[in-house]
Amino acid sequence: MSDADVIVVGAGPAGSCAAIAAARAGRRVILIERGPFPGSKNMYGGVVYPRILDELVPRWWETAPIQRWVVRRSTMVLSETGALTVDYRSNAWGEPPYNGATAYRPDFDEWLSRQAVAAGAQLVTSTTVTGLLRDASGRVTGVRTDRPDGDLTASVVIACDGVNSFLAKEAGLYTATDPSNFTLGAKETLALPKHVIDERFGVRDDQGVDIEILGGTSGVNGGGFVYTNLDTIALGVVLKLPKLAAQKKRPEEIIATLKAHPAIAPLIEGAEVKEYSAHVIPEAGYSMMPTMVTDGMLVAGDAAALCLAAGIWLEGVNFAMASGMYAGDAAAAAVARNDVSTKSLSAYSDRLNATFVLRDHKKLRKVPGLVLSDRVQQKYPAFVTSVVERVFRVDNPQPKPGLRRIVREERKRAGIKLSQLIRDGWTGLRGFG
Amino acid sequence: MTVIACLKWVTPRADDDDRFAGISAADQSALEFALLSAQPGEDVVAVCAGPSGAERALRDAIACGVTRAVRIDLDPRVSSLAVASAVASVATGARLVWCGDYSLDRGTGSMPGFLAARLGIGQALGLIDVTIADDAMTVVRRLDGARREIVRVSGPAVLSVEGSTARLRRASLRGVLAADTATIDVITGPSSVVDTVDEKPFRPRARALAAPVGASALDRVRSLTDAGAATGRSETVVLDPPAAAARIVSTLREWGYLG
Amino acid sequence: MSALVAVVPVRAGVVPAGGPEAIAEASGRAIVIGSGAAQATDDLTEAREVTVVDVNVSDPQIWGRLAAEVLTQLGSTDSVVVPASPDGRDLAPHLALALGVDLLSGATEVSPTRVRVARRGGLAIAEHRPSGRFVATLQPGVRGVDSSSTAATVSTVDVSAPASSPAVVSHDVLPPDVSTMDLAEAPRIVGGGAGLTDAERFTQLAEFARAIDASMGVTRVITDRGWAPHQRQIGTTGIVVDPTLYLAFGISGAVQHTSGLGQPDHIISVNTDAHCPMMQMADLAIVSDANAVLDELAALLSKDSAS
Ligand SMILES: Cc1cc2nc3c(=O)[nH]c(=O)nc-3n(C[C@H](O)[C@H](O)[C@H](O)COP(=O)(O)OP(=O)(O)OC[C@H]3O[C@@H](n4cnc5c(N)ncnc54)[C@H](O)[C@@H]3O)c2cc1C
Ligand SMILES: Cc1cc2nc3c(=O)[nH]c(=O)nc-3n(C[C@H](O)[C@H](O)[C@H](O)COP(=O)(O)OP(=O)(O)OC[C@H]3O[C@@H](n4cnc5c(N)ncnc54)[C@H](O)[C@@H]3O)c2cc1C
Ligand SMILES: Nc1ncnc2c1ncn2[C@@H]1O[C@H](COP(=O)(O)O)[C@@H](O)[C@H]1O
Repeated sequence: MSDADVIVVGAGPAGSCAAIAAARAGRRVILIERGPFPGSKNMYGGVVYPRILDELVPRWWETAPIQRWVVRRSTMVLSETGALTVDYRSNAWGEPPYNGATAYRPDFDEWLSRQAVAAGAQLVTSTTVTGLLRDASGRVTGVRTDRPDGDLTASVVIACDGVNSFLAKEAGLYTATDPSNFTLGAKETLALPKHVIDERFGVRDDQGVDIEILGGTSGVNGGGFVYTNLDTIALGVVLKLPKLAAQKKRPEEIIATLKAHPAIAPLIEGAEVKEYSAHVIPEAGYSMMPTMVTDGMLVAGDAAALCLAAGIWLEGVNFAMASGMYAGDAAAAAVARNDVSTKSLSAYSDRLNATFVLRDHKKLRKVPGLVLSDRVQQKYPAFVTSVVERVFRVDNPQPKPGLRRIVREERKRAGIKLSQLIRDGWTGLRGFG
Repeated sequence: MTVIACLKWVTPRADDDDRFAGISAADQSALEFALLSAQPGEDVVAVCAGPSGAERALRDAIACGVTRAVRIDLDPRVSSLAVASAVASVATGARLVWCGDYSLDRGTGSMPGFLAARLGIGQALGLIDVTIADDAMTVVRRLDGARREIVRVSGPAVLSVEGSTARLRRASLRGVLAADTATIDVITGPSSVVDTVDEKPFRPRARALAAPVGASALDRVRSLTDAGAATGRSETVVLDPPAAAARIVSTLREWGYLG
Repeated sequence: MSALVAVVPVRAGVVPAGGPEAIAEASGRAIVIGSGAAQATDDLTEAREVTVVDVNVSDPQIWGRLAAEVLTQLGSTDSVVVPASPDGRDLAPHLALALGVDLLSGATEVSPTRVRVARRGGLAIAEHRPSGRFVATLQPGVRGVDSSSTAATVSTVDVSAPASSPAVVSHDVLPPDVSTMDLAEAPRIVGGGAGLTDAERFTQLAEFARAIDASMGVTRVITDRGWAPHQRQIGTTGIVVDPTLYLAFGISGAVQHTSGLGQPDHIISVNTDAHCPMMQMADLAIVSDANAVLDELAALLSKDSAS
């Protein structure tokens, strides 16, 4: 008999949800994490959309370690000195059933893993999975770890080992990895007293703000973000890898420039840098996703490239939790059927296709390319901000020019072709619509 | 007979966050020596006086191979003597009692001495090297001025080791899985007074110095403060290896390190 | 009113680190106990009033119990300050227990009514206001001594030393030896890093270190490779050292390394990269191949010792 029905590798959001789902279904689950505790080394921007937990952890909002509930979402377009902000506020997001929330990963991941343990999964920390065990037919039958006597067998292995999953690669599920499919995320955690954050961002109590930024990344294609925690601010950038390398700029320098922007500097003035961290992100890549099912194994979360990170997008935890849950369900059902073949396990990919997980990715498949394109990155912010700047500027006694004229003049000045602008607008509309 | 390992569970951060708590490298060495020094048939017992969170350290010890783990339910802030008395109740009759030379919070290092007194057995503390043989152990104890005392230990004793003396073995995966459900004996410790003295940030005290010498007041101030001394001697040179070696030797002479 | 008295353990006539400071803290009143106690008393310029207990034992447990006996014999009710040297630290619990009083360990300042104790590795100070008699150990180096000497009155107490525990027998005391010396105490250190290309280089480095009376230290890269034991690793996850002289061969000077380095008076760095942090820190930064320089140093020093 195997040591376990299901082995889950990695206790991030994907892994813990997979373990919860499989353990709930009565399977023997072992969840293996390399850090000293789940989330200990995991980083991200700072906003999670946990509604998917409604199915797994009833009334999750009562126990989840949330910093603030997001009641304001802004998108900011930055030129060198100007800023155009679209700001939406809904205090209803600050009440159940909630929308987004800011949370620290070491808190959130650890909490989620405790739900898995409560559901009956066995959590093993400080243990790194170093390879897959397979039988003669190539079916995955377990994992090898870095501990002495460290092989462990199972009917199904769920790989939730994060971006660049070496387990998925070892199983041959990725074709080739192209660096242009990755972005680099870097962020600083900045400490400020709670009342100062409340005042500067116009919130109170546990209300929070999520600002996504286009432009302001020193000419490197990417985007930025500012999120409020209780007494810290997360400020970071997401940068296209090949561009970053070509421009020979360091992510810290780009963050420093963003922090000095006149629209950002007042928000963070006087804050003390508590932490700097950087991590690779699989960029919204429907195109780069691996095969997610093979005999005896499933891949979920970032390991399956299920992450949207395209400048103004940073969603991964929700996709990780959902895909983890579906993988856990599918694994449990396959074990119950006593058939862990690809066919039996493919209930998982069917479910991904039928839900927001892949629907969102399919819908938005062209958006990352658009958002990170040179046009949008290098030309549009200046174009948009100068149009708005001219519309709002009052320089009597000169009569105001008409909007059409302003747009035409600024478009020419920015070197943007009308046909291109229309096409991009269309892609954008279709992507979001 | 039994061999004991004393492990102190410490939460190093002011917010008492258990996730960052653990035992010191010295205590890990103590545990390793307890496992290494046990003779066939002897029990190895890990003891920790501390809160329930400390059971994580005891489970790790079980995963590494101790035969029994005991937690004495005690507020960790009681005095070393109170801890030693409580631990002594578990360690009575033990052949060897291994402690860390210091705990993760750089405690006082006085608990092993108290323990030896309470148990009425010998002690060899502050060890920097341990050689285990069948009949007796040879241990090296740190003295001051870089002197070393070589001590032979042939019977019951409390030993405390520094963190660099041994690296704790890595528990096997089977050990870790089994330790999850192993029983930990919990003993209620004696209620004792918790030390609640207020802490303040460290400030060094004024030091007594010999009176400054110098003819004028200015000279005396200079001799105390080093003001005006040469700074920034720093120099970068590109040299081929023979020249570099010659330069190193001549510089060491110039600075007075070589005769 | 009760006052303070120092108890200073002496081994083969050698006064421990912090002994003079403990005596100064107790306003010159001391009990000097151990082998060669009488002889050691001559060196104690801070002392005004010394009781010598010359016994031929070097066992902190026994020193602690004997000191308690002597204090009782003298009718003393004074609180006691002991240097927090290895021997002092190890005797203090036995003394406190024999007197039936509290022990306050690792003090930075001791007076009969106020004791400041360093906590959490010296990050904090706790202030105790003892209401009765106590034993405290005083950290060496915290106060310094003002060695204006006055003549001391010396009296001698004869005690018969009880036998040490036969289970724990002191065998020998080794004099300081740079090559076995614990890095933390080494005044001169020669360090090697990833710029040295193979394990044999570290044998060579250790030989060079010995030739200049230094100890060898390494970076974590080297201990990770298994080329040197963990006790030789300098840095945040190794040993914190405080030498006066540091020579770095092929070390980049990562902060995890240099933060364990103390404040050497003199640093020499040999590295092919003139701009790495170790070269920036050095008083003498030599751009050269560290491997070849070691060969040359070996040749040079063997020629020196031959001539
Ligand atoms: C800068 C940045 C900002 C981001 N911002 C956001 C945001 O604001 N909102 C959002 O929703 N998403 C954000 N994301 C994306 C999000 O972080 C990821 O999509 C999400 O963490 C994926 O979860 P996961 O469980 O798949 O993987 P991970 O969270 O990466 O977890 C993988 C786990 O597996 C463990 N592991 C890996 N290998 C092994 C092994 N061999 N053996 C054992 N354990 C192993 C790891 O220690 C880790 O705990 C951001 C990402 C970055 C980099
Ligand atoms: C949590 C953590 C804890 C750590 N703790 C420690 C610690 O306690 N101690 C520690 O040392 N490190 C520690 N490190 C590692 C540390 O960050 C560095 O990686 C390490 O100190 C680098 O060692 P190095 O200088 O030998 O190697 P490198 O950084 O690789 O430097 C090698 C140097 O050699 C030079 N060089 C190359 N060839 C030659 C040549 N032929 N001649 C001369 N010079 C040459 C190079 O220019 C370079 O400067 C820790 C790291 C982490 C993450
Ligand atoms: N509460 C405790 N439980 C078990 N062992 C302890 C405890 N406190 C101290 N010790 C042991 O005594 C050593 C020295 O601790 P301390 O006196 O706190 O510096 C530690 O390294 C442990 O081995």
